[in-house]
Amino acid sequence: MAELTYREAIAAAIAQEMTRDERVVFLGEDIAGAGGVFKTTVGLLDKFGAERVRNTPISEQAILGAAMGAAMTGLRPIAEIMFSDFFAVCWDIIANEIAKVRYMTNGQITVPLVVRTANGGGSRFGAQHSQSVENWAMAVPGLKVVAPSNPADAFGLLAAAIRDPDPVIFFEHKSLYATKGEVPDDEHVDIIGTAKVLRDGTDVTILALAAMVPKALEAAERLALEDGLSAMVVDVRSLVPLDTQTILATVQKTGRLVTVEENPRLCGWGAEIASIVADECFHDLDGPIVRITTPHIPLPSADNLEDATLPNVERIVATIRARID
Amino acid sequence: MDVVMPQLGETVAEGTVMVWHKKVGEQVEADELLFEVGTDKVETEIPSVVSGIMVEIFVAEGETVDVGTRLAIIDDGNLVTNRSAPKAIKNKTAKVAFVSAERMENSAPRDKSLSPVVRKLLSEHGIDASEISGSGDSQRVTRRDVMSYLETRGGDVSQIVSAGDLTQVIPFSRHRRLTAEHMVRSKATSAHVLQAVEVDFYHVDKARDVKQISWQAKEGFTLTYLPFIAKAVCQAMSEFPHLNSHVDGDSLVVHANVHLAIAVDLNFEGLLTPVIHNANLKTITELARSIHDMATRARDRKLGPDDLSGASYTLSNSGSFGTLITAPIISQPQVAILSIDGVTKKPVVVTGANGDEIGIRPIGILAQSFDHRAIDGAYSAAFLRKIKAILETQDWLAELT
Amino acid sequence: MVSSSKKKHATALTSEIRANDDIGEKVRLALFRSQYEIRQLEKRAYDMFLQNMVKGTSHLAIGQEAIAAGFAVAMHADDYTYCTYRGHAHTLARGASMLGILGELMGRECGLLGGKGGSMHLTSVEHGAMGSYAIIGSHLTIAVGAAWSAKYRGTDQVAVCFFGDGTTNIGAFHEAINLAAVWKLPVVFVCENNLYMEYTPIGDVTAVEHPAADRASAYGLESIIVDGNDADAVYRVAQTAFARARGGEGPSLIEAKTYRHGGHSRADPGTYRPKEEVEAWLKRDPIPMYRQRLIDFGIVEEVIDTIQADIDNAVDQATEVAKASPAPSLDVIETDVWADGSSSWRN
Repeated sequence: MAELTYREAIAAAIAQEMTRDERVVFLGEDIAGAGGVFKTTVGLLDKFGAERVRNTPISEQAILGAAMGAAMTGLRPIAEIMFSDFFAVCWDIIANEIAKVRYMTNGQITVPLVVRTANGGGSRFGAQHSQSVENWAMAVPGLKVVAPSNPADAFGLLAAAIRDPDPVIFFEHKSLYATKGEVPDDEHVDIIGTAKVLRDGTDVTILALAAMVPKALEAAERLALEDGLSAMVVDVRSLVPLDTQTILATVQKTGRLVTVEENPRLCGWGAEIASIVADECFHDLDGPIVRITTPHIPLPSADNLEDATLPNVERIVATIRARID
Repeated sequence: MDVVMPQLGETVAEGTVMVWHKKVGEQVEADELLFEVGTDKVETEIPSVVSGIMVEIFVAEGETVDVGTRLAIIDDGNLVTNRSAPKAIKNKTAKVAFVSAERMENSAPRDKSLSPVVRKLLSEHGIDASEISGSGDSQRVTRRDVMSYLETRGGDVSQIVSAGDLTQVIPFSRHRRLTAEHMVRSKATSAHVLQAVEVDFYHVDKARDVKQISWQAKEGFTLTYLPFIAKAVCQAMSEFPHLNSHVDGDSLVVHANVHLAIAVDLNFEGLLTPVIHNANLKTITELARSIHDMATRARDRKLGPDDLSGASYTLSNSGSFGTLITAPIISQPQVAILSIDGVTKKPVVVTGANGDEIGIRPIGILAQSFDHRAIDGAYSAAFLRKIKAILETQDWLAELT
Repeated sequence: MVSSSKKKHATALTSEIRANDDIGEKVRLALFRSQYEIRQLEKRAYDMFLQNMVKGTSHLAIGQEAIAAGFAVAMHADDYTYCTYRGHAHTLARGASMLGILGELMGRECGLLGGKGGSMHLTSVEHGAMGSYAIIGSHLTIAVGAAWSAKYRGTDQVAVCFFGDGTTNIGAFHEAINLAAVWKLPVVFVCENNLYMEYTPIGDVTAVEHPAADRASAYGLESIIVDGNDADAVYRVAQTAFARARGGEGPSLIEAKTYRHGGHSRADPGTYRPKEEVEAWLKRDPIPMYRQRLIDFGIVEEVIDTIQADIDNAVDQATEVAKASPAPSLDVIETDVWADGSSSWRN
């Protein structure tokens, strides 16, 4: 085991896979010599050379189009889109082309690519560079959607994404890049489509994703200490494929469900899961499903405004206190 | 003024002081190189913002601190006001002063309605919610409350409230209320007619006497009249299927199999009618076992929803109390119900080889209430005659082996 | 009845040209076959539309056959073709079956895409036809990716990307060509300029006269204009571009001038085009022009007639089989979202 930061884990996972498979190539803006604006790809140019680690112009559509063309002709590209907000610029390639080409061609074309991006708020970048848009990707059939919350998961799930024969949109959280965690030393690959129970409990199930996971864990600790409430915390990790079985099992055990979502209110990822639970676990529910989300507004930039707008530990604790009896 | 650790790069949270270029007591000029900071692999030179004298250094070379931490103080003439500078600005989570105007997390109406899981548990275990005290918001009954109740078991079914003088006012429990509603509705729906036969249980008794000891040893419970009657009813039903039906508007829906409900009294606290499905396919031994099993589970409150639904005919047994005759109320939507009353020794006329004689026989009345919308008296009478014949002449010993 | 003086002139012309023939009979026959096949198939598709057997929408390339044929014949079997929703011609020219194409247009089980893609997405990977794309401009970036892949893998494959004049004004056009030029990729961008961006004259919405060729210099590329109705001219330009690409010199941007005989799509009768313009271009119909070209180069008319008859038969056959083919089974609806053939998003 080694202690790595989340960003180091990303670089290490890419390195592991590029070593293992020479079809893996990597393109994006400022990813080569600069090692990425978030320093997530430091060292890769030196290790693998300019043929495999390529800087691109500011051309989001061309970056993803090139990744798709390469993926459909024998390579395994990783494309970086610097800020997930920029998906809006190249959404055609993601939603209309990459996601649909296999289905439309009746299976003739397969697209084994990974699109990595820095997602989420908390860094004071303002509304156009702070969004959480994994729910956009969840809504398009044909895309796998992953959002790790810690370095070990970032490593293992990125390796899995690179090995996956289908398109995977990999949402790294920019506010988690500096966080540290233990990562296995040897070759390591996780399984996409599996959620993880991080904390066992009996009174309520809290589902969280990415940067909301550490907040949910902290809230659970406080609720245990101050209220004697036993909360189960589940890191969803993968929105598509969704580990529905694990989620339903935890709700059957506790009878209550709370989601903590960074997405703005409407159509956040938790809304879909709440609907599934209400349908398939209705008779196990001891009370309404509660969603804790960012309000349905663009994100403000000032420190205190942003901190109050995104779900924070205080708000998670207060809400659960008020709604779980 | 304070010299603080700058944020060099987005998402960088800390920095290391590599080199101080000024010592305490030294004069510093604005824009002059003051110190060097290292973050990851980048080292950056930081110039001084003000001119003045270096007063104090708090963070030594080689130390790593969070962004915003005070590193040193330069006296630029504004020292007094800066001496009590605020602590380093960290990204603390804000207090919950902001609550969104959007109707969201905290704005749920409180009420005492039963949650889905509570309703499921109450139904499964045949409990009424009023039996359980609620510990949730607004005293609602929670899942935990039901689970605790089930574990401890017992408890009052109805609350007895003294009204001052010697009269007792006993509010109807939910179960009582439901029974009351059902009974009145049944009487209003069906055209009840009572018809009875006397049955001589002599042969049944003979078989019971022979088999009783081995039966009890093997099965662990007594062989009563009930399984025999149930068997006879099922057999007779094959010839009189219209009694195994229900009325649907202007039609009679006749069931293929007999789903026999057996009324079980719960210590004077209520009635349950567990159902033996496809009773016509069972032997008398199987029937006896089923009846015993149902009654036990009914008393232990261990019946599931399937056990309480789908009946096509009902047996109501008051026999153990030695009643003469009962006019039972039909369980809707069935078309008939059979009451089994006390079996007692009576003097009767027995026709033997020497003509008519007086004999002592165990005689019991079977009384059927039938719905005259669906059935006529002759049909019902013939059915009862058949039951009587089966009970009085069937080779019960053979059936019990 | 041909006059003797005319005959003499044709013979003299023919022998001079024949002496300098860089293309050759074999290739010319292939070019004719390809163009004629496309023409007959597209006409059949139009007829089927009039009989309400082709559903949805269809974008026909009648009049533009020489471009698809010229490039297809010049390509290697393992080269990649990327085209737009006006892609029947290109997909057929690479070797996909008529039955597959007609079947797909009619939404039948025998369709090239099993009835799941439709007219705008014709693909036949085994023939190098890497897809017809319905969002303007996106496939230029995808073709760039295929070219990058070929260069990375060290093969001499080329990606050829066909698009219309309207595409030259969308963002993806510029991103794709810029990236291809910067990375020196083996991709050939072919603009089929039929003078109209859907219903609007291209000149009304473009800042330069030649929508593709006049932009080439912005990416350090040569301005190349070719008569898109002359298959020989197209073939030559294609060869030059392929040699450049395979030689590692990077991309080319070619503007082929042409004209579509019908409307933008089957729903459009094209009445916004001036009558004189349409008539002038119809006089330059590539099919009769190329038939005459073959004759000029000494190919006997009976040979040409036989080729045409064979193709007519083939189209008829394919039509009958397609008509008799069943609709796809409903079982295919939830298949092939993922590489393992499934479509499930949850356990």
